[in-house]
Amino acid sequence: MPALPRDQVRGAVRAGASARAEVPTAPIFKAGERVIARNIHPIGHTRLPRYVRGKHGIVQRHHGGFVFADTRAHGLGDQPQHLYSVRFEARELWGEGAIERNALYLDLWESYLEPEGSS
Amino acid sequence: MKPHGTHTDPPPSPALRVQALESLLIEKGLIDPGAIDEIVELFEHRIGPRNGARVVAHAWSDPRYKERLLANGTQAIAELGIGGMQGEDMVVLENTPRVHNVVVCTLCSCYPWPTLGLPPNWYKSAPYRARIVIEPRRVLAELGLELAAETEVRVWDSNAEIRYMVLPMRPAGTEGWSEERLAALVSRDAMIGTAVPTIEPRGGASPR
Amino acid sequence: MNGIHDLGGMHGLGPVVREENEPVFREEWERHVFAVLNLTLAAGQYNVDELRHAIERMDPARYLQTSYYEHWLHAAEDLLDAKGVVTREELLRRAVEITQRSSAAASGTSHSQVSGAPNGSRAPGAGRLPSE
Repeated sequence: MPALPRDQVRGAVRAGASARAEVPTAPIFKAGERVIARNIHPIGHTRLPRYVRGKHGIVQRHHGGFVFADTRAHGLGDQPQHLYSVRFEARELWGEGAIERNALYLDLWESYLEPEGSS
Repeated sequence: MKPHGTHTDPPPSPALRVQALESLLIEKGLIDPGAIDEIVELFEHRIGPRNGARVVAHAWSDPRYKERLLANGTQAIAELGIGGMQGEDMVVLENTPRVHNVVVCTLCSCYPWPTLGLPPNWYKSAPYRARIVIEPRRVLAELGLELAAETEVRVWDSNAEIRYMVLPMRPAGTEGWSEERLAALVSRDAMIGTAVPTIEPRGGASPR
Repeated sequence: MNGIHDLGGMHGLGPVVREENEPVFREEWERHVFAVLNLTLAAGQYNVDELRHAIERMDPARYLQTSYYEHWLHAAEDLLDAKGVVTREELLRRAVEITQRSSAAASGTSHSQVSGAPNGSRAPGAGRLPSE
C-alpha cells in the first residue's frame, strides 16, 4: 500500500479499521452458557492471558465475528472466529483470598473456550 | 562500517533511532513527511477525553440516547460524530449503585482512542496492568476511589478489539444542568473507572 | 507466548503512580514514534497483531525498564528489518551519519573533518542499535 498522504490522515483516523469479519459457521456458545478457558500455552501470539487459562466462566454475550489475532500476528491470515464476552468470578481466578463480589470480563475467541463438562 | 555488537558504545537514544528510521522511510517513499505533523496534531490537540465527556453528558440528559448507547456503543457514539481508529467496536459500561466498572488492558495498552484520546502512562504501566485485575479495590483506593463493600467491582480486560468506556453515575444535585456543564464534571479517569464525577465548586472543575 | 507482557496478577511491581496533568507526549521523539508507527501501519507495512507480538518478544528486562514509545520503536525496527523494508544496517548507518553531521556542525569544523574527533572515533551513542 502507498504512503498515507497528509490530506487523508484525518479520514483514515476517523474511519479506523474494524476487526469485525464474517464467520462462515454459527456460534457454538450462547449467553448464559458455562465455559472453560482452555489451558493452552502457544509460543506465538495469543490474547488469552495466563490468569484465565483453565478457569470456569459464563458467557455474557456473543460479540460477533472478528479476525483472529493469533494467526494475524504470524502472517497466517484473518481466520475470523466468533468472539464472546465471558465473566469470571474473582474467586475462581484468584482463590479464596479474593473478594467474593468481584468479577472479571474478558473477550475470548471461540478457540480459546471449551464447554464445561466436555471430556 | 563494522557490524553492530563490536563496539562498547551505549546504544543510540530513541531520539536518534526514530530520526534515522523516519528519514529512511521518507526517502523510500513509505511515509509522507507532511502526514507526521497532521497525525500528531490530531491526537495531541483534537482527540481527547472531552469527546467521551460529551457522550456521557448526552446520555445523562437523554434517557433514550442512554439506552441506545448501552445497546450499541459504536453507533450511539457515532451519532455525536465521534469514532474511528481504536474505537471501531465500542461497548459502554454503566456504573450503578450496585456495580462499578473499571477497564484495563493487561496484555498491552488497548484504550478507546476516539472517546478518550491516548492513554495516560499509569494506564499503560506494569503496576496498573498487573494489579487492577487481582486487587481492584486496593488499587482504586490508592487512586482515591473508595467503594462501598456491597458494590460489585467488574474489571474489564480489553484483550481483543472491543474497546470499553465507563458511563459513570450522574452526581446528585445536577438536575437541569446543561450538557456542557455536565460534561465539565466528567474526567478521563471517570470514564476508565478509576474515579467518579463529583460536583466541583463553580469554575473549580479541573477533571483529570 | 507466556511472555513478560502477560502481567495480569503479577506481584511486586509497586504502586500505580499517576502524574497530574501529564502531557500527551513527553518528548519530541515520542511524537515521531507515534507518527511513524501509525503511518507505517496505515501503509500496510504490518498489522497491529504483528506489532504487539514484536513487543512481546522484547528482552523481558528491557520491556520492564523502557517506556511505552520505546516499545513501539523496537517493534517498528524489528518488523521493518524482518520484512527487509528498512534493515538494521541501514538504520545504523543513518544513525552514524546523523551523529557525525551534528557533531561536525556543533564543533564548527570545516567540511574536511567529517568525523569531528582527532582519532576518528564515533560519537557516543552511534555504535550499535539495541539487539532483539
